[in-house]
Amino acid sequence: MSQLLIQILMNGLMMGLVYIMMALGFTLIFGIMRIVNFAHGEFYMLGAMAVMLLFSTLGINYFIAVLVAALMVAVVGMVIERLLLRQFVGRELNGMIMTLAIAITLKAGATIIFGPQEMSIPRPVSGVTNIAGILIPNDRMLVGAIAIAILVLFYFFLRYARAGLAMRAVAQDWEAAALQGIRPQRIYLMSFGIGCAMAGLAGALMAPIFTVSPFIGDVPMLKAFIVVILGGLGSLPGAVVGGLLLGVVEAGVATFINTTVATMISFALVVVILLFRPAGLMGQSR
Amino acid sequence: MKRSRFKRFAATIGGAIVALSTGFSPALAQETLVIGTISALNGPGSEWGRGVDAGTRIAVTEINDNGGLVVGDTTYMIEVKSYDDGYKPAEAVAAATRLIEQDGVKFIIGPLGSASALAVKPIFEEEGVLALMNSYSPQTLANNPKYVYRVLPTSVEYVDQIVGWMKENKSDLTNVAVVSPNDQTGWDSQKTLVEAYGEAGFEVVGKELFERSSVDFQSIITRLLTTSPDIIELDTTPSSTAGLIIRQARELGFEGLFVKIGGPGVPAIVEAAGKEFAEGTIVYAAADTSSEKYKWMEEEYAKIYSPPMNAFNVFFYDAAHLLFASMQKAGTITDVDAVRDALVEVTPFDGAQGTLVWGGMEDYGNNNQLIVPTFIGRISDGKEEIIDRIDAK
Repeated sequence: MSQLLIQILMNGLMMGLVYIMMALGFTLIFGIMRIVNFAHGEFYMLGAMAVMLLFSTLGINYFIAVLVAALMVAVVGMVIERLLLRQFVGRELNGMIMTLAIAITLKAGATIIFGPQEMSIPRPVSGVTNIAGILIPNDRMLVGAIAIAILVLFYFFLRYARAGLAMRAVAQDWEAAALQGIRPQRIYLMSFGIGCAMAGLAGALMAPIFTVSPFIGDVPMLKAFIVVILGGLGSLPGAVVGGLLLGVVEAGVATFINTTVATMISFALVVVILLFRPAGLMGQSR
Repeated sequence: MKRSRFKRFAATIGGAIVALSTGFSPALAQETLVIGTISALNGPGSEWGRGVDAGTRIAVTEINDNGGLVVGDTTYMIEVKSYDDGYKPAEAVAAATRLIEQDGVKFIIGPLGSASALAVKPIFEEEGVLALMNSYSPQTLANNPKYVYRVLPTSVEYVDQIVGWMKENKSDLTNVAVVSPNDQTGWDSQKTLVEAYGEAGFEVVGKELFERSSVDFQSIITRLLTTSPDIIELDTTPSSTAGLIIRQARELGFEGLFVKIGGPGVPAIVEAAGKEFAEGTIVYAAADTSSEKYKWMEEEYAKIYSPPMNAFNVFFYDAAHLLFASMQKAGTITDVDAVRDALVEVTPFDGAQGTLVWGGMEDYGNNNQLIVPTFIGRISDGKEEIIDRIDAK
């Protein structure tokens, strides 16, 4: 039984790390721009499609392909921010509607270009590592390691880098930040690009593990939403806590009961949190 | 003289113009016959849904290229109106309503998928629209429908034979776990499979249902493995998803046999699972994929949709030809009842993979089920190898 529990914990942590990557980008965008990015799942999908093209079709080294895919998604995101979303910063309802429209358009465009079928791409890493009877697929371990590295980098960026400090300043009070010489429009562009890059990176990393299609962004979007509600919209530590909590709870419930109940429990958690702590576990009320 | 020559010339030209405008065979007027298809053309299930549409279109193109469908004194060029239901019942209803009320269609091929099929069945019955569809649910043919016919074999038709084959050829395997999608199709097919395996002497040690959009099965597999199954039966799981389950189960240490008795799709399984992990999987094969006719159909399919073609394509190709043959037998394309009655009269019918007959009285109380040959395949070196053939009961 203890081995089973540890296996469940590992399963949950691995998925939790991916949820965190999705949620961090989502909550970063909301925290700085006050835009709920309903197209976040589609940026995940674009990352997966990009790595499929770069790695599977063009034969580029996988790690380079993942990096380039994330950068490509960042560029797409920045173009969208500049052309379509800049005017909706701070206007949550309008921003939601616009991002919803963007999501539908991106998904439809991907369906037209790539078709609706699910596609598989070769795995750069295969095999399983057995640690005292706990089996961890090597590809998931790689994703977990990269996710942890990204989280650490992200933490140091926000804490010590000039641009990261500027982002935090704009998130707190954009007018005060502007008075200090920080240009909010530039921060919005950077934040949206980084947020989309995080989603694209998650998609690029998960593409060889699952399948790729224009519809793969729906579930990660939902998970990101649950995680940030749990952790607190706009709270980066909350996204980490929420992601791990969701991953482990889902894995446990799915293993001992079933996946349908696991989904219900995850939404029930959201309901409970919203009732007793509307700002989320680590969010702050405005 | 010149005037009479001119008159003769004008008469000749005039006659030629009249002849050309009425066609070289004025007795055969050419008109358009419009039929409809409803199926998932995008999203989960589209690998099968596209088979509905493409199978129909391939048959239609064959007929149109040969001059059209001759029914009585009229030659019809056939037009297909296709609607995507996304494997969802609400959209299937919308598609059916549009086909009937806006497009004036009386003959529909599809939908595919139990939820969609059961949603539109009352519409077809009420409107008197002849539908050749597929759904694994036994409810499809319940209450003796007048206008709904099923053109694919379901697990009811072949599962006993395949499970029996398993018992005979894999006698060292005793425990089975069944994994199915969590919807009408999965519930119904899982129930049938669990009964069949139980009756054949297998012990069913696990029954799992998953959401169609799922891609991570580690939790389900972790639980399944605690029951030590010899066989994991993948039932009506979509092919790519089945490949993911196979891969993830192998990675978590499952060394037993995979079987998939519901819905073909070896290329997608192999692509998602990897050749090594998919090796040895026993599959229900809807068609002999090594036959010349099947290979021809794959080429025709590639002109309509991106490959690979799913074997379900064969059934709907046959269904379309069966429908058109019935129209010719009945001598009408407007009297739906007459065409429906002719469906029986044109059988036994030479289908792409063998002889087709109507049956199902014992299971459904009517003969609205098309009985077709089925095949057992094994995934070998990444390809489907046909290892046995069964006549469905």
